[in-house]
Amino acid sequence: MELAVDLKRSLSNECTSLSLSALVWQDVLAQAMTGELVAAMNFTALSEICDHPAEVADALEHAQNEKGHAAAFAAEGRKIGVEVPSNVEAKHWKRIREAFQRRITERDFIGCLIVQEIMLESFAVASYARVGKVAAGSLGKTFASIAAEEEEHIGHAMAILRAERALDAQRFDDKLYRLHLEVMTILAEMLARDCSRGHCEVCHDSCVKPSLSEICLTTAELRGASLQQYLKTLDMLGLPGEVTLVWVTQLPV
Amino acid sequence: MGDSVASVDSPGRTTDVDFALVGHQESWRAAADVLGVLRGPERTPLPDDEIRDILPWIPPRAVCHVDVGSIAGAKARGLYIDSFISPDRLEADYIRENIARVRAAAACAIRAGAKIVSLGGFSSILIEGNFDQLPERHETVFTTGNTLTVGFIVQGIEKMCALEGRDLRRSTLLIVGATGDVGSGCARCLAPLVRRVLLSARNVDRLRRLAAELEADGVEVEVATPLQQFSAQADIVICAASLASPSLLLGRIAPDAIVCDAGYPKNLSPNAEIPGARVFFGGLGQITGGLRFTPDFHGVLNRHPFPDVVQGCLLEGMALALERRFEPFSQGRGFITQERVDEIEAIAARHGIRLAPLYNADGPLWPAQATIGSALGSRESASISSTDFTG
Repeated sequence: MELAVDLKRSLSNECTSLSLSALVWQDVLAQAMTGELVAAMNFTALSEICDHPAEVADALEHAQNEKGHAAAFAAEGRKIGVEVPSNVEAKHWKRIREAFQRRITERDFIGCLIVQEIMLESFAVASYARVGKVAAGSLGKTFASIAAEEEEHIGHAMAILRAERALDAQRFDDKLYRLHLEVMTILAEMLARDCSRGHCEVCHDSCVKPSLSEICLTTAELRGASLQQYLKTLDMLGLPGEVTLVWVTQLPV
Repeated sequence: MGDSVASVDSPGRTTDVDFALVGHQESWRAAADVLGVLRGPERTPLPDDEIRDILPWIPPRAVCHVDVGSIAGAKARGLYIDSFISPDRLEADYIRENIARVRAAAACAIRAGAKIVSLGGFSSILIEGNFDQLPERHETVFTTGNTLTVGFIVQGIEKMCALEGRDLRRSTLLIVGATGDVGSGCARCLAPLVRRVLLSARNVDRLRRLAAELEADGVEVEVATPLQQFSAQADIVICAASLASPSLLLGRIAPDAIVCDAGYPKNLSPNAEIPGARVFFGGLGQITGGLRFTPDFHGVLNRHPFPDVVQGCLLEGMALALERRFEPFSQGRGFITQERVDEIEAIAARHGIRLAPLYNADGPLWPAQATIGSALGSRESASISSTDFTG
């Protein structure tokens, strides 16, 4: 009797049944893990241009945290019986790394923070939080807790960025806009409904986007939540809302 | 898109403003047009399904700057803030989400330093009676703008009666949505001028209280929730109900009734079978001292047959800003009186804000009005449709 009840529950809750959708989860985890490894690489690179030992330590600690997140995603994959691949050379992620690396070459500490903490983390926080809501058990908890940790990162960076903007808002906003065109365009392409530039080189087979409904997610939801988080983060920095709205509406779909 | 629009260097940058207008788009078409302007003409327009995906995620924020002029020479600067309430989420099921959006839009207005904020019709219904739910206000005051809306509805009825040769004093007036702030305001202003008043609303207790108030002044009043229950046919009708979509079927009214649809979204169903009725959209005013907005939405959203037409509720904040009277002129529910209407109408008139030419879904009600509208449209000012600024 108890087994029958459990079976019923399981059937009625198909969206959270991990085994039925393990391959979808594998791709979701692969994207998340790749993002975390890219973040770890970014923070390691950032540590090389920091002027103060405290900043160096901070960047390296962040890099370590991001590696920890990647390991946590890999572990969650194993729990549902899949190996989670990663590919920091995948085309979109590579372009993002290259954009970040250009800021490193310019020794542009603020530019690096904008790319990593405002743009990439906005997407991470929002999309992990959405995934955390639909994933069952420890998988959901892992996504939710990493989303919360990443949000703390943003909070830390915000103080630095606000202080920088207070020095020269026009210069800061112009820089942010240039980085927006470079980086947010890539992120928007990644979360577009269709992969117009071909396979993303992270999903194990065909694109995972059409299959997201199997785990009660949609590309539209992930993109919407991510852009909303990005806009709210820019609001918190003090950028004019009517200007950032124009930026976002002009991104590729 | 050119850097001139996207860049924060643009003149559209938020600075302290005199007034802010809070609204939302009532249809997906209107929402698509707003996003289309923001996206720029050189980009492929967003497909409708993408717009439906994107819009619900946009946090409330300023969309454009608004500059309004007065015929007396005064000028005021403002912002239009869209709460980005989705056109398909106007029902009661979404009330908490929508209140949160209006609150967030109000917070944008406060942050922008607006001295007075006018809430569009639907937004003020959400907050009506709950102004304490708005963010801490510092030096920003809020008005629902309903007093001027009532003024323009009443003026529209009077104008229609005059043009149609009707005697208002011999009329039976039906108000649908009679217990709302606008409906009850119309009742107070028009009841002394007509023979009999029929009041309809969902809340029976409020209906009875309003009826008792009017009866105490010697007005003949009948109340009902279903329109079929009234014993008499109305020959003047005001539709001021809060409906998520145009779904009102009026049913038993006089065949040649004058019907003012003052709802936002519009109340009257396209299937309402009232072929002989003279329907007009009420509560709208027109700015004659100049209206400009940045970015330029001119011609994109203007679905009115006349330029510079805006909902009365939003015009109230603009009129008060031109008058430099930054006060919460309309707040709460049930406080609109003829004296307050007279006062706001006088302020609006001083600055050239007057009743909009009458029209309905088929266009202007009189060709002469269209000519007047065209002449006004030749002025060097960008026009804004009420759909930019409503809700």
